[in-house]
Amino acid sequence: MVLNEESVEKLHDILNERVKELNCIYTIEELLSKTEYSLADVFQKVAEAIPPGWQYPDICVARIDFEGQEYVSKGFKKTRWVQRADIIIQDKSAGFVEVYYSDFRPTADEGPFLKEERRLINTIADRLGHYLLHNKLRDLFKDLDKNGRILQNKDKSDWTVILDFLRRSDQKLYIRFSRRMMNYLCWNGVEEAKHMLKYFDKAPISDESVYIDDVNRPLQKASISNILQVSDKTFKIAADRLSGNEILICIQKWLQEDKSSFLVRALETQGNPLSEIADALARFYHLAQEGIQLSESTRKTLNVSLIRRFFTDQLDYINKAKNFVDIEDFHELLTRIIYTPDSHGKLGGKSAGLFLASQILKRALGEYEILDQVKIPKTWYISSDVLINYLHYNNLEEVIEQKYKEIDQIRQEYPHIIQVLKNASFPPEIVKSLGMALDDFKDSPLIVRSSSLLEDRSGSAFSGKYKSLFLANQGSREERLEALIDAISEVYASTFSPDPIEYRAERGLLDFHEEMGIMIEEVVGKKVGKYFLTPYAGVAFSNNEFRWSPRIKRDDGLIRLVPGLGTRAVDRLSSDFPILVAPGQPKLRVNVSVDEMVRYSPQKMDVINLETNSFETIDAIHLIREFGREYPNVSKVISFLKGDHIEQPFGLNYNLDQEDILITFEGLIEKTPFVKLIRTVLNILEEKLGTPVDIEFASDGEFLYLLQCRPQCYSHDIVASPIPKDIPEKDIIFSANRYVSNGQVPDITHLVYVVPEKYAEIDSKEKLSTIGEVISNLNNLLPKRQFILMGPGRWGSRGDIKLGVSVTYSDINNTAALIEIARKKGNYLPDLSFGTHFFQDLVEASIRYLPLYPDDEGTNFNDHFLNTSPNILDKILPEFDYLSDVIRVIDIPAVTDGLVLKLLMNADLDEAVAILARPSLQKEVSIRPSISIIQPSDDYWRWRLQMSGRIAANLDSERFGVKAFYVFGSTKNATAGPGSDIDLLIHFTGTAKQKNVLMTWLEGWNLCLCELNYLRTGYKLDEILDIHLVTDEDIARKTSFAIKIGAVTDAARQLPMKSAKSL
Amino acid sequence: MAEKSFNAFEMAQTQFDKVADILELEQASRDILRNPMREYHFNIPVRMDDGTYKVFRGFRVQHNDARGPGKGGIRFHPQETIDTVRALAMWMTWKCAVVDIPLGGSKGGVICDPHNLSMREQELICRGWIRQIARDIGPVNDVPAPDVMTSAQHMLWMMDEYEVISGGKYPGVITGKPVGQGGSLGRTEATGYGVVFTLREALKEMDIKPEDTIASVQGFGNVAQYAIELYTQLGGKVICVSCWDQGDQTSYTFRNKGGVKLTELQKITDHFGGIDKKKAKDLGYEILPGDAWIEQDVDILIPAAIENQITQDNVEKISKKVRIIAEGANGPTTPAADKVIEKRGIFMIPDFLANAGGVTCSYFEQVQSNMNHYWEKDVVLGNLDAKMTSAFIAVSDMAKKEKLYMRDAAYVISVNRVAHACRLRGWI
Repeated sequence: MVLNEESVEKLHDILNERVKELNCIYTIEELLSKTEYSLADVFQKVAEAIPPGWQYPDICVARIDFEGQEYVSKGFKKTRWVQRADIIIQDKSAGFVEVYYSDFRPTADEGPFLKEERRLINTIADRLGHYLLHNKLRDLFKDLDKNGRILQNKDKSDWTVILDFLRRSDQKLYIRFSRRMMNYLCWNGVEEAKHMLKYFDKAPISDESVYIDDVNRPLQKASISNILQVSDKTFKIAADRLSGNEILICIQKWLQEDKSSFLVRALETQGNPLSEIADALARFYHLAQEGIQLSESTRKTLNVSLIRRFFTDQLDYINKAKNFVDIEDFHELLTRIIYTPDSHGKLGGKSAGLFLASQILKRALGEYEILDQVKIPKTWYISSDVLINYLHYNNLEEVIEQKYKEIDQIRQEYPHIIQVLKNASFPPEIVKSLGMALDDFKDSPLIVRSSSLLEDRSGSAFSGKYKSLFLANQGSREERLEALIDAISEVYASTFSPDPIEYRAERGLLDFHEEMGIMIEEVVGKKVGKYFLTPYAGVAFSNNEFRWSPRIKRDDGLIRLVPGLGTRAVDRLSSDFPILVAPGQPKLRVNVSVDEMVRYSPQKMDVINLETNSFETIDAIHLIREFGREYPNVSKVISFLKGDHIEQPFGLNYNLDQEDILITFEGLIEKTPFVKLIRTVLNILEEKLGTPVDIEFASDGEFLYLLQCRPQCYSHDIVASPIPKDIPEKDIIFSANRYVSNGQVPDITHLVYVVPEKYAEIDSKEKLSTIGEVISNLNNLLPKRQFILMGPGRWGSRGDIKLGVSVTYSDINNTAALIEIARKKGNYLPDLSFGTHFFQDLVEASIRYLPLYPDDEGTNFNDHFLNTSPNILDKILPEFDYLSDVIRVIDIPAVTDGLVLKLLMNADLDEAVAILARPSLQKEVSIRPSISIIQPSDDYWRWRLQMSGRIAANLDSERFGVKAFYVFGSTKNATAGPGSDIDLLIHFTGTAKQKNVLMTWLEGWNLCLCELNYLRTGYKLDEILDIHLVTDEDIARKTSFAIKIGAVTDAARQLPMKSAKSL
Repeated sequence: MAEKSFNAFEMAQTQFDKVADILELEQASRDILRNPMREYHFNIPVRMDDGTYKVFRGFRVQHNDARGPGKGGIRFHPQETIDTVRALAMWMTWKCAVVDIPLGGSKGGVICDPHNLSMREQELICRGWIRQIARDIGPVNDVPAPDVMTSAQHMLWMMDEYEVISGGKYPGVITGKPVGQGGSLGRTEATGYGVVFTLREALKEMDIKPEDTIASVQGFGNVAQYAIELYTQLGGKVICVSCWDQGDQTSYTFRNKGGVKLTELQKITDHFGGIDKKKAKDLGYEILPGDAWIEQDVDILIPAAIENQITQDNVEKISKKVRIIAEGANGPTTPAADKVIEKRGIFMIPDFLANAGGVTCSYFEQVQSNMNHYWEKDVVLGNLDAKMTSAFIAVSDMAKKEKLYMRDAAYVISVNRVAHACRLRGWI
């Protein structure tokens, strides 16, 4: 196309005009987008922005009128050359925009105005209208968010405003809401809505295609306008049937929920890796900051999903946790989780326990002000599948197969595995994240803790099986990072160590896909000199299993408190003691006399030496002398020994160099709320978690830090056993009246007795270790849970072997009971093995623990039986024949003519006794390491009742002279167990001869049923039928079992007999 | 059960009867000494921490006060019986008499287990005990002291309660108080020094120079440490000490043939007299089994740890060289071993006499409290030396004169003194 010069010029002018118009629009758009301007400002500035957009800007003026308010451009003056557009909001005029020329100009499309200018002014008015509507809605939403509800007297049109807006801006959302409104109406019993429902039924709302038709005909695609009509109609019905307020509340709720739907989707999609969930959470978090409110149910759904993704699928945990966590908490947590991009891992048991505990305490703060002294140390987490990722990255997959090898081989190979893992490298993204963690921690000492998926689950305490390592975290960043990585590798390696593998094998957990989360926790404490020290730390339990006074109740709890890191409170130590306090009875102390307080005061403490970058055990008193008041809260930690007087530091009237210092924590216990705080924490956690707990804590002298929280091993299955009183002394093997827990071991066939006097005489270390070896062998040879181990001092103590037989848990895991014999040595009584890893193992495996104090008055200790009964050690382990004087293995039935040993323990009476008695059952009793109580299964009584019926049905009443046949007792009451008998009551009227025949006939049944029962349950009974014959006379006089017939309570049940049927 | 078990009071009476036979005491003297002069049994109601009330049973037995105000401890013991208290009160009478201090013998107690009591509850028991007995004890009547499960703290509460009741300051009502609160200096040294004062006198009588002797000590607690200190000052040489190792739960003997150095060992010793094995090794000590102390080639054995250490089983291990055994501990020698020692002619300074430094210092505390004037330490220890020395000489003279084993001589002399006092007062 060829253009002449004139037309080119004209085109130029035209284009020029368009540019001006566009500039005008842009300016106005910009103004409207500025949130900082007030409405008046906006109108004023818009009025001024208008004239430059018109063809003759120098004579152009503008005026905006909004709800009676006038905004004009400079030099405004009304003339007859005017152009005007109304500002419409919700179909109502709310004002107008006017443009005037102050002088004559040639006529164009609309007077002097161009048709483009008409479009421009209309657009401006339209934009202003939208802007105002938007503002109005925004205020409305804000109002809703703030109040959560709208006041009754608000204008009905509020909700219509929102809907109109939605209808125009987001039809999909509008339709979703109408669908929800429809459901809402239906639930509220609105008939028209039910009728409407069928239109929706055919229309999947999430999809834009909508089907409305009869099922028989091919579905016809409905247009969006159709469904819009349905939606409109729905809201019309709603408007008739519901109050404006109610509709508003619904809409507001749905709006909120809609905003979180992406998060729900992200969480519910199984395959989503952690990274996507992290993104969704972050997005949600930002939305939430703008004030998003979720309905209770949505919140719960989200919480549960998050708990499941991050912590565990265990319903128990989820059930409790969902009430105490919130999405925001997870957002915070996520900022400190290290994971690979495709990670699907969890954080592990320890993290889960601590996270939940911290949330519970956070929420209890309102009620218990004291809890503002509780904190959680800064922690980073590594998700559990990073371990697997790490193995893949280094092509070390075969390590996972380790657990299926023989335990000996696992033991042999373990040191190599540690080395291999320590030399492997981490994927770069993990290294980078660890670097970030280090930047966050700076140079605070750290503890790298295992947090495996199996660990700390209720019922299988993996405590101490996996490693935890301390890091001084000093030096250059590279050095620190290297040390951290090294520590993590070592903790990983402990997954493949023999002890936990054996432990798992025993519990049938071997096939569990074990992954290991890691917690990197800041060590609590202060730098003092070259040391980083924790002024005090320890563990606390809800239930006190070691009550030193009958006034202390079990639920008074127990605190084990030490100076320095809590390691010395958790571990069993041979030569040092923690301070024990029962939080419910803090004034009743274990050690009362000056001697006791001196003897049992802690001597050493675990600290981190920042100079050597190492974990050290040092003399606590020396440290206190050296650093004096630099030791945080020192006056609350120590007391002074003055002759036979113990004093607490008073005022400033003491000199640490000269005083005889004892660590007693008296000040802390008596003068600070410490004990109350621990008790509060224990009580709250126990109440909210619904189970007794054990916690680990540390203090920096100011705050109390919670380091760990898990359910306390607590044996529901152990009930107090009655203690018979009239046992002949010769049948008592031993008895105890101190520190007795509940329970009983019914059928002990073998007794392994390490003779304390002989053990003490052994002079070589080798021989002492051999004793442990023999025990381990016996553990594998003797019938599981049918033998008991008895021996001097403290079994399994690490460190000094002289103290007690050197064994690990795996060397004694088949015993039914571990009995430690404490014979007085001077004034000293050996420490008991409670609150330690070992003890929890015993509790977990239902291995009974009992300390014996044969020197106590009122106790029995049958030296004669133990020392003179034949020893079978040389028969079962001939190679250890030479130890026969130290280790005595007694086959109880063999030496007692078929008797067994019963161990009966009653904590309430604080009494226990082991007696020789007849075996109760011939079946091997396996005491399961679980918390399940043997419930009477339906099966046992049903089968017994059926069989009773069969006997009755086959019993010829005339032949045997039987008038009636009844069943009563456990069979009738549906409480029979596998070892129960069947109580039969027979109304007998026959002769002596008939009686004989009847009994013979019944004996046949008896034998047969005994065998059947044995095959069904493994319980061997000699007499399953317990037959009681009653005569007419008995019934008349209501003597004997006759009272059961027609009794008001617990009456015997009559069963039909053969002849009765035939009658 | 308790009926079958041994009765301490009956045993004490039997022991007394033997001495009475030696002294040929007439019946009235026997009657007055076989049984306590007075006994008080009373209730101590206490409002417990939980608001409930509990009534404790308290005792005070005054066995004999012919020689002066009664003296004896207060025990808190759950299995306390009146017979035990009686036996111990009688024992106190003899103990005060053997060192010739002007005091009689008493003992008291409360049936309770402090392990089941808070400090507040214990305080109420102490105050309750005093309220029941205040009119029958006092600085010039009967003076309690700490004993099993009671400490300086309990004594202070008791003193305070007594002063409230009496309306004056009477620190002499009780002993065992901390220094500055009516306590005496020199108490920590008293027993250990007392052992060596008697040992020194024994050597003097045997005409042996202390600097020519070497000794072996069992134990490294308070008594042992001060005994070693004074003995070394006298010129003697201790070549080994033994002590309990808490960590290993066994005892070890630490030997240095050149002589142990007290101060260097004290530096590596914990509160219970446990010596750090490793550090001792570094200092050049030989580490021997715990009972090696008894078989050393020394002149003097000082068992200063716990009871029943020299037994039938190890008495034969005692070196031929040993001339003297000074019993720093209570009852370190079993009767069977005692017979062997007597037969071998080893000079025995019985516990009764050798460790009487403690009770003597208690007496000094009482004296100072009554004067409200407290001595410097060297005055206390000087007076202690004088008392112990004359006590030893008296016993030793008696042993020589009557050809008695030292243990018997000590017993005889104290019964004699008490019976004599009763006679002089016209009681019998």
